[in-house]
Amino acid sequence: MSAHWQEQREGGSRASLGLLIHAALRCGRGFILFCLYPITLYYFLKRGAERRASRDYLTRLFGRPATVWQVLKHLHCFAVTMADRIYLLAHGERDFDIEVQGLDQLQQCIAQGRGVLLVGSHQGSFEVLRALSARCPEVQLRVLLDKQKTPAITELLESLAPEVGEAVIDVSRGGAAITLAVAEACRAGSMVALLADRGRAHETLRKVDFLQQPAPFPIGPWLLANTLQVPVVLCFGMYRGGRRYALSFELFAERVEIPRDGRDRAIDDVLRRYAQRLEHYARLEPYNWFNFYDFWQQDEAQPVAMVRANTVSEA
Amino acid sequence: MPTQTAAEHELAILIVDALNLETVDPMQIDPQAPLFGGDLGLDSIDALEIALAVSKRYGMQLRSDHPDNQRIFSSLHALSEHIERERTV
Repeated sequence: MSAHWQEQREGGSRASLGLLIHAALRCGRGFILFCLYPITLYYFLKRGAERRASRDYLTRLFGRPATVWQVLKHLHCFAVTMADRIYLLAHGERDFDIEVQGLDQLQQCIAQGRGVLLVGSHQGSFEVLRALSARCPEVQLRVLLDKQKTPAITELLESLAPEVGEAVIDVSRGGAAITLAVAEACRAGSMVALLADRGRAHETLRKVDFLQQPAPFPIGPWLLANTLQVPVVLCFGMYRGGRRYALSFELFAERVEIPRDGRDRAIDDVLRRYAQRLEHYARLEPYNWFNFYDFWQQDEAQPVAMVRANTVSEA
Repeated sequence: MPTQTAAEHELAILIVDALNLETVDPMQIDPQAPLFGGDLGLDSIDALEIALAVSKRYGMQLRSDHPDNQRIFSSLHALSEHIERERTV
């Protein structure tokens, strides 16, 4: 049986994470990056599920069995982007070289004043987006996030930048308040960011091809986009080694239209396009894929059902 | 047979229309039954659709930060009562 990612435990206790953040800010990034080598090795040895998920993903991507070295590199890349969140939150983009692509497309969407839905994935670092949004404080960035998924990390990181925590729309609260908050943010002309690659438990999922095999994706984000009728821009903040990040924006749709008739086909079309973009970025930066669980849910006995359930995803 | 007030009935029709619930007869919605997660199986995106339709029809906003949201969205009766109190049209 494959465990659902929501049951995976948060790596590290609150105390050790607090110590890590303190040390990271005191000792500087160079020292922390050095420390991440033994930490990566420790996780590689201790966390079998993540190790297997990494090997599975890399094997599919490269089309040949992934090596231990590649898996280590993958885990290390994740560790670096996690550590960098500390610096991005504490000092913004100061310590980094962030290359931005497609900003004009995003700005055109913002200029329409209807709000923008920024859709990302668990690839690279979304923190880069938050750091960059400090450049234009007149356009607010709200982020949909499940604060209960990694409560210790969320709390500690937010203590570095309280205003970032206030801009979060906490999905774990559930219910109408979430979707209403998204709609209100859009009416105010803000950007609302969410990650659309992981389905939460009891969420409606549909399978489309990702790396040549059907993988379940949540449909909630796209139904929300359909209801809101605002421009949807894809956003990816890829780590490229050293101090370099590449933040890309690409217009996905001026409006996502999911008609009542032919609803499933329309959703599948949208999901397929989204999955293709994930694949594009996965090939561009292979080690930036941070879904360390059985993404394809290969052991899932029952087919993914079309049930109407809790449909709003999280970032 | 659930008995709806006139306001509840009007709102029931609005909901069924907005969500295109083809198999649901507005008359049959029990005013006290849960709107979400119950027999109707509505979700948070349906809630947004309802909020948009309500804003158009009654000229009022259902707010995300309303402290009573959980109660307001609990049933047709509660939602209708809230709308009747706050409506401007």
